[in-house]
Amino acid sequence: MSSIKISNLRKIYGSTPAVDDLSLEVPSASVFGLLGPNGAGKTTTFKCMLGLARPSSGEILYDGKPLAPESFERIAYVPERNVLYDWLTVDEHVEMNRRAFRAFDPARARELLSQFGVDHRKRVSALSKGMRTAVMVACAFARNAEILVLDEPTGGLDPVNQRHVLSLIINEAAKGNSVIFSSHQIGQVERAAEMIAIIDRGKVILSGLVDDLKADRKIVEGIFPDVAFSLDGIANDPRVLRVDRTERIVRLLVTAGAGEIAARLSASGATGIRALDLNLEDIFLYAVSPVTATTDIVTKEQSS
Amino acid sequence: MTYIEWLRIRNCLKVLAIILVILVALAVVLRVSVARYMSPAQWVHHIALDPGTHESNVTLPDGTKRMILDNPGEQMHALIDDHGSAGTHIEVTEPSSRAHKEKSNVSVGSIHVVESRHGTMTTTIIDTNGAVPMLYYMAIADIFALIVATILAAPLAREINGHLELTLTKPISRLRYALGAIGVDVVGILAASVMTVAAFYLCQLLFETPRLDFSGVNTRAILMGIACPLAWYAMLCAATTWLPRAYGALLGLIPLGLLFVGLLTLVPASNVVALFVHDVAWVISRFDPLTYVSVATPNSEGSMDYSGANFGFRISMEALFFVGYGALALWRWQRVEA
Amino acid sequence: MPAVLTVDPRSGVPIYLQIIEQVKRSVALGVLRAGEQLPTVKQLAIDLTVNPNTVARAYRELEREAVIETATGRGSFVRTDEVEASPRVAVEIGRDAIELALREAKAVGLDRDEVRAIFEAALERWFSELPKGDSQ
Repeated sequence: MSSIKISNLRKIYGSTPAVDDLSLEVPSASVFGLLGPNGAGKTTTFKCMLGLARPSSGEILYDGKPLAPESFERIAYVPERNVLYDWLTVDEHVEMNRRAFRAFDPARARELLSQFGVDHRKRVSALSKGMRTAVMVACAFARNAEILVLDEPTGGLDPVNQRHVLSLIINEAAKGNSVIFSSHQIGQVERAAEMIAIIDRGKVILSGLVDDLKADRKIVEGIFPDVAFSLDGIANDPRVLRVDRTERIVRLLVTAGAGEIAARLSASGATGIRALDLNLEDIFLYAVSPVTATTDIVTKEQSS
Repeated sequence: MTYIEWLRIRNCLKVLAIILVILVALAVVLRVSVARYMSPAQWVHHIALDPGTHESNVTLPDGTKRMILDNPGEQMHALIDDHGSAGTHIEVTEPSSRAHKEKSNVSVGSIHVVESRHGTMTTTIIDTNGAVPMLYYMAIADIFALIVATILAAPLAREINGHLELTLTKPISRLRYALGAIGVDVVGILAASVMTVAAFYLCQLLFETPRLDFSGVNTRAILMGIACPLAWYAMLCAATTWLPRAYGALLGLIPLGLLFVGLLTLVPASNVVALFVHDVAWVISRFDPLTYVSVATPNSEGSMDYSGANFGFRISMEALFFVGYGALALWRWQRVEA
Repeated sequence: MPAVLTVDPRSGVPIYLQIIEQVKRSVALGVLRAGEQLPTVKQLAIDLTVNPNTVARAYRELEREAVIETATGRGSFVRTDEVEASPRVAVEIGRDAIELALREAKAVGLDRDEVRAIFEAALERWFSELPKGDSQ
């Protein structure tokens, strides 16, 4: 068992909420991707989950139980920023983990470090940003933890090592462990995560299975013969999230029922109707910044 | 769990060890360079050079080499008992001169000198390698222990500054982590005291076999020498935990600040302002563990009183500071957020 | 098998659908023969660097569509029925492709005769010379 349930989490710094009534659930043996623009509250959410910050309200349960010191035998955390001790060597960090965690496997840690190309004899102060991330990732994945909380686990890594981290995440999921991770690299989330939540200004604005979101969310495009056209109430359909009209072209962002809406568009006189697939990046942009997304989709369509 | 704190102590004690080794090395240099003056027999040899002096040597049954010098012309009689590394006992009787005091009793380290005048004659008794009060050792050990305590006194602040994500995600409660870290620091500070005493003992051993005096004031000095650095540590630990970002500045400035406050308490109350400054400084100094450290208090006659009056109160204050300041640090630590 | 399957996670097509399509295609083309074993969910997930649950979902769907069957403890295999999977799946793939093409043709405003003319020409080109041609 390795499920996480966050209910109505709120964390207020001063008078501004960093996390605002956030609820999400990571089932056992799954990979959950947390997406959001900078300052959306991802790191604060992680900190609340791990008891590093005290929630203003709300509840976080691991397999139905609140966090306790012993929970950290099962939970591994890779923080976003570098928290290693500059004055210690990589080996000393491995030793620190060995002393702190019963299930920690030092041999595995050293194996991962060499795969990442980290010289374990070096002092942390002599490592680059990416190598420091690699040290934290290597130690976390050598923990034999059941739950991994990874805040930007690929920060500063080169593409080969980024892919390596993704493989490690997938490997954990295949072993039945749960991973919740955040990344600005949407492509990585798209690959490794089966479920995502997009958060913005501390709130979950969209969540679900990546494949379902992709299957359901479409852009339905149609061309009307005249600039003055009426959508006959299609725009009021609750499944239509957004309407963009440019001259005779209309683009509708729909959350479901693309076929049906396409038919209605056709019935109201539009031609050249097509449904465009959205990848996760498009979905993300539509969720947090619709204006950018529209421009982006249009230019992408024109260039392809 | 306290691995990191152990490493910090290790680094700190390494530096202390280097300093102490240098001190011992200097003592070795000194020992070698004064080698030929070291024998008290040689020291008195110039007396023996006087043509009127008659010298006789015997070895007593216990191995003591006794030299007797007689100079009837100058009315000088000297007896030198050489006990080897256990010290030398010298008794010189000679006519009084202006340099002699009526009666004096002076101790410098392990050397005791007693002078007494009987009529026109003065007897000077010199004992080398007398009992050395632990007080001396503890005074030095205390200085090193206080320095080590000051360097170590930010165990929690150092974690707060950028490592909480590691420190607080271990399978141990915050309280147990903090108690563990403070616990190993306490061991580190005591180790610094022990190392210092050992090094200085070694230095003295190069010259003579020290006979340490642990009685009376010395016991109190040992207790105070343990308690004061720990109370000092707890005070700084509380300050750095509450203001973790400035822990470096706090560790540097608080000792200086308290030294300054200590000086201000000496301001004579010559006018209202001076009185006010004195009073404020006096109140602040009540919270400073160093205020309670003295093992001797000046008495009304202007000399020092080693009788240990108020010692119970003073040592209790140190203990109270250790617990109280420690609790303040822990209270803050429990609430700290990353 | 892994050499045949590739996914493009960045595409708007759900990954599990991409896997389903490619398995079907491999079956239709005979790359995967009846009774042949598929990689385990875990193995395929690691090979493709995609989430194992996504792979599992594709396998479940393929099983529901009677393309593969899973024997507990032994793994997943291409189904061996009295009706072989391969020709049935081939028909499905061909039908989907033609449907898509016709829908697009209609969307851009071609009429029935125009489409028929294009279709005849294409049929001539692909099926007269080459015995085995690509329908796309």
